[in-house]
This record gives sequence, structure tokens and C-alpha cells, in this order.
Amino acid sequence: MQNDRVSPQPIVRVAEEPEAKTGELSELREILVGSERRQLEALRQRLDSLALDPEELAEHLPEAIALRAGRDRQLARALAPTIETAITESVRRNPQDIATAIFPVLGPAIRKAIAETMAGLINSINRAIEHSLSPRGIRWRIEAWRTGIPYAQIVIKHALIYRVEQVFLIHAETGLVLGHAAAPNLAVTDADLISGMLTAIQDFVGDSFQQEEGGKLRTFSVGELTVLVEPGPQAVIAAVVRGQAPESLLRKLQDTLETLHFQFAGPLAAFDGNATPFEAFRPMLEDCLETVLTTDDRGRASRTTHWRAWAVALALLTIVLAVLALRAQRQWDDALARLRTEPGIVLVRADRAGARWRFAGLKDPLAPDPSSALAQLNGDSTRVEARWEPYLSLDPKLVVERARRALTAPPTVALDLRGDSLIARGSASMPWVARVGALSVFPPGVSHFDVSGVEAVLPTEFAALKATVETDRVLFDAGSATPTPTTRGLLVRVAGAFGRLHNGTGEMGYRVELAIVGRTDPTGSDATNKALSQQRADVIRATLISLGVPAAVATATGIGTTSPLALPNPAEAARINRSVSFLVHLRPVTNPRKQGGSE
Amino acid sequence: MIQKKICMVGLFGTGKTCLVQQYVHSIFSTKYHSTVGVKIDRKVVQVDGASVTMVLWDLAGRDAEQDISVSYLRGAHGIIYVVDGTRRESFDQAFELRELAQATVGEVPSVVALNKTDLKDQWILGPLDDSAMAAHPWHRLRTSAKTGEGVEAAFTWLAQHTLNTERKQP
Repeated sequence: MQNDRVSPQPIVRVAEEPEAKTGELSELREILVGSERRQLEALRQRLDSLALDPEELAEHLPEAIALRAGRDRQLARALAPTIETAITESVRRNPQDIATAIFPVLGPAIRKAIAETMAGLINSINRAIEHSLSPRGIRWRIEAWRTGIPYAQIVIKHALIYRVEQVFLIHAETGLVLGHAAAPNLAVTDADLISGMLTAIQDFVGDSFQQEEGGKLRTFSVGELTVLVEPGPQAVIAAVVRGQAPESLLRKLQDTLETLHFQFAGPLAAFDGNATPFEAFRPMLEDCLETVLTTDDRGRASRTTHWRAWAVALALLTIVLAVLALRAQRQWDDALARLRTEPGIVLVRADRAGARWRFAGLKDPLAPDPSSALAQLNGDSTRVEARWEPYLSLDPKLVVERARRALTAPPTVALDLRGDSLIARGSASMPWVARVGALSVFPPGVSHFDVSGVEAVLPTEFAALKATVETDRVLFDAGSATPTPTTRGLLVRVAGAFGRLHNGTGEMGYRVELAIVGRTDPTGSDATNKALSQQRADVIRATLISLGVPAAVATATGIGTTSPLALPNPAEAARINRSVSFLVHLRPVTNPRKQGGSE
Repeated sequence: MIQKKICMVGLFGTGKTCLVQQYVHSIFSTKYHSTVGVKIDRKVVQVDGASVTMVLWDLAGRDAEQDISVSYLRGAHGIIYVVDGTRRESFDQAFELRELAQATVGEVPSVVALNKTDLKDQWILGPLDDSAMAAHPWHRLRTSAKTGEGVEAAFTWLAQHTLNTERKQP
């Protein structure tokens, strides 16, 4: 088709040859190389009109578009303004067409947008709740309050994966800043100086390490910040990132840089310090300012948290059960120990079914009832069941207790068991002492009873009589053994008191004795004094017997000066020692059974 | 926003940094000179009602052993050569530096700051030197870090000329 179209021209040209001679030559030439010449001519024609043939273009356009679109995004970028203009124009001319065309996608798009907004809202509510109510949220609130940094920044600081804080677009050759974008709340005033220094450092690194052309500093870290530098032929893009910058960010920077070189090729080449044309590129730079929080991790973390919560609950439950089981076991052990050590209780059988306890055994009636103690250990009296058969325990404690009850021992008497002998100490009334002293049958577990350690307390009236007898004293003149005549009344009183004492105590099983003690003053020899004192005692004994005192219970002893009555005044002391005084002795009437038992 | 890259070069000890210290906004410390070899400051100059941001690359002083890094000169819109008016070698070096800069960035508006003009008794530059300098299209100024003489003028001159001059590539 092309050949047909092009072929007429060479023929015309050949026909135009002016001279006849050359006509033959031309003819010859035509015969020899005619077809090649025509082809050459056709090619020359094509080269002359290099502009694309619409037909040819139509042939290759779809393929070319597909090819380029697959390679990069330049085509889309190039077409975008035209398509935008075309759509704008179309809408302006006839809005109905566009409305009809996009109607099928409009509904789903709106629904999707609403759903996403709602999801975002719910998500942010969830997050707000989580942040405000979780211990972490409260901790962050406290940190915000303490440091004075806004709460939102604290959240970002902790939940941050990465955040692009600043993007610099730098003219490669001069290091001058073409554009700069910074995250909100981040005051950066010296972008120009930083751009310059960044370029200088790039140069410095390149020079220092002798890198071939294109070898540049790409990434460096400063504390929590990482600076990603992406160099292009005419401009450099640098991003200051807090946190872990992902690979995708680098691709985004490269993409942005490519777009710049494509869209601003002219202004870049003509750049002479005036950055105004690059203002239009600012939105692209701002697009690079991303903040990515731990939303994905949060989901994973919350799943992990659920897991952990369950594990913790299970562990707690196990611990609680173990503690309860241990406690029940310890209560049971305590109960058994208590029953086994309790005097008067013999545990024959003990079993436990869950919280229910069952005991059986023997119990002395005197042993304390264990049921209240057991109920207290178990915690529930209805779950404790016990059957006790009565028996007589020979446990010393119970033997003593039983004896105390049987003997009706007063609290002033202490009872003690040594082997099978019951020993009593303390004091008790004379009738009690007399009564228990006369016993021949003892409580179980006791074979002997020693009551000698108990002081018999006289009943008041007898104590008074005894005092009367013992305080009276018969005085004598020096060297005389004859009582003064006035003594007679005194002796009548003593004899009377003793007589009543004798009769009364006899009924209580006591024998009362009267000791008559004679003394002298220290004058004279001991032998004389001894004899004189004996005479004095004898005289008084005789008189008392004549007054009714039974001779069998009255004894007279002269002790001379061996145990004088003491007084500070020697003369007075001598006077009161020339005397006879009385002592009353009470002795229980000997028990023939006890005597026999003790041998 | 109009920005211009201005490089400041000169022999070690000519007082480059001192000269501009009070007139520029700086966020980097002078230790950058000994580490990276350059310190970047900013100076905003008003020219005919427009503000021009001069990004000043203060290059570490050149000495016998160490040359300045050519990379830092790339793309410079203007250059300030600082000469110590009391030291002959700093004057001579200015010409070498000029050649180096020209080879890198071509002919750009340049200023020669004849510094330490306050040390009149030690001044060694004479009329012969003036004519030697006049052979090149650089603007000559007498400056003093001590009095501040000439500093604002140098920046203003550069701002005006970098704005008006088409850059010539080498």
C-alpha cells in the first residue's frame, strides 16, 4: 500500500531529466537498478516526513500504551492532566452523559465510603476507649500530665511504627532547598541550612570514600531518627523518619522524585535559586508525610492478650483450687491431730468424703466435747458427724479431774498424781481434811491419797478458842513455882476454852493436845532454871487437870531459858519469861486404812 | 523564594568565619570546619524590595597541605574570596582559588574581601597589588571583622549581581 502511494514520484523525476543523452542512461539505469532506486526513494521520503503517519500510529498506539504503562507510571502522569481537562470539558458541556456513565459505580462507591467511614469511626472509638481505660492509656495520660507534652504526641511516641517527620527536596548541584514539608506540630525553620549541610555531607562522604559517580550516602540514623536520601539527576529527596522505615517508603520517595523530574524537567534545568515554581509540587511532598501507628500489631496484641487472659485465669483457678484443697487437707490434719492429742478421747475411725467428716471412737465423760472445735475447723457443723462411746480414761489429767470432783476438793487444794498416788497440797477446812483423811475408797486411778500437805483450817469459833488459850500466860515471882492467887481465874478460862475446843474438834475427827511450857528468867544456873521451869509447868498442869482438862492430852515441859520470849527491855523480858504459856496442837485421828496402804 | 549559593574561600587564618559570624544565621558549630570541611549559614538580603536568601557555604581554610573540596563549590552562584591584608601568601592564594573556582563553576559574581583592614600598620598590600586584582572581574572590598566594615556591602553586592547575572557554565 505504501509502495503504491510512493511510486509515482520517482517516475515523474526520471521523466524530468533534461538531456536526451542522459535519457538513455536513465533508461539503462532504470532497467538495472530501477526497483532499488524506487525503494531508496521511498525510504528517503519516509525519512523526510518523519512525523508519524496517523495510520501507522493507529496500528501501534494500543501496543505502545500497554508497553509503556507496564514499564512505569510516566504515561499515566502525562495523560492525567489531559484526561482531567477532557472530563471537566465533558461535564461542562453535558453533565447528563457523565452522570449516566458513572451511575452504576456511584451507589457502591458511596456505600463503600460510608462503610469505611463508619469502620474508621468505630475503630477510633475503640482506640479511644482502649487508650483511656487501659492501664497503658492511664500510664500515657500520667506521662502527658507529667511532661506537659500533649496526649496525642505521647500516643504517637509509644504506638508509632514510623512517622515521616520531614521531607526535603534539594537541588542536587547547589544544595538549595526546592521544597520542604514537615509534620504538623513540628517547627522547622532552617530547612535551607539543613538542605545545604545535607548536600555538603553527601559531597563529603562521596569525596571521602572515593565513590564512583552516583555512589551517595543513602541512609543514616541519628538516635530514633533515620534519614533516607534518594538522589536523582537534578534533585535529591530526603526524608527524616522516626521509627522503623519500611521498604515501601523508599519506593514512594523514588516515585515522588521521578514524578518531579518528569513534571518539572524545565524548571529544574533552569533553576537559578528561585524555588517558586516548585511550590506546585508541595502536595506531593506532603503526601510523603506518613504516620503509621501499631494498628495491625494491636490486633495481634489483643489476640495475644486474650490468650494471656485465659492462661492467667486458668492459672488463677488452678491456684485457687490448689489452695482450697491444701486448706481442706490442713483442716482435716488439724482435726485428726486435735482428736489424737485430746486426753480422754480415743479415735477409732476417721474418714472424709469431700467436705464431710465422720469420726467414731471412745470418749471419757470428763473429756471436753470436741464437736464445737471440729465444727470450727470444718467451717460447717452440719458436715461433721461424730459418735463417741463412753469410757473411763486413766489419763493423769482426767484422773486428777475425776478425783477433784469425787473429793469435792476446794479450789485452795492442788491435786497432783504421781504414779497412782494422789497428793494434795494447799489448805482446806478442817472438816474436809478430816473427811478425806478418813476415806478408805478412792476414785478410779488412785491407790493412795496423801493429804498431809494440806493445812487444816480451823473453823472461826475454834480458832478463837485456840487463840484464847495460846495468848494467856501465867506469871510467877522470881524463883517461885507457886502461881499468884489471881492466876486462878485465868486458869479457869483456859481450862474452859480448851474443854470446848477438845469436844468440838473431837467430833470432826481431830485430837487436840495442850502443851504447857514453863520458862524462867536468865538469873541462876541452867540446871536450876530447868528444874524450876518444869516445876512451874507441872503445877499449872495439875491445876488444869483439876479444872477438867483430860490428863491424857495435857503435857508439861520445862524449857528453862532455852527458848526465851524476846522483848527489848531486859527487865520486862525477865518478867514475862518467869511464866507458863500454852500451845494447842490439833492432830487428825489416825486412819488405820491409810496407814496400812502406805506401808 | 529566591536563594543563592554563595561560597566563601580563603587561606587558613584569613578570618573568614569571624568576618561573617555576626551577620549570618547559623545553626551549626565551627567544628564542622575541621570535620566536614564546610559550615553552612544563612544571610537574608533585601534587593529592590525582594528578599534573597544567601546560603553561605563557609569552606574550611585552605592551607599548604589541604586543598578545598571542589565538590563544595559546585553550583555556587557567587564567591567571596577572603584575603588577609597583612599576609602576602593569602593574597597570592586568592588567585589560585579563583582559578580553581572558575574551573568548577565558571565566571560567577565574586567579591574579594581584603580583610583585617583595621590592622593598618601591618597592611602589606600596595597599588601594584590593586592593579593585579583589577585584571579580574571581581569586586574588591576592604573588610574588618573587628569593625564590621564592608561585610553588609559585600553581601548586598553579591545579592544584586547574582540576581542580575546569567550564570555562565564553564
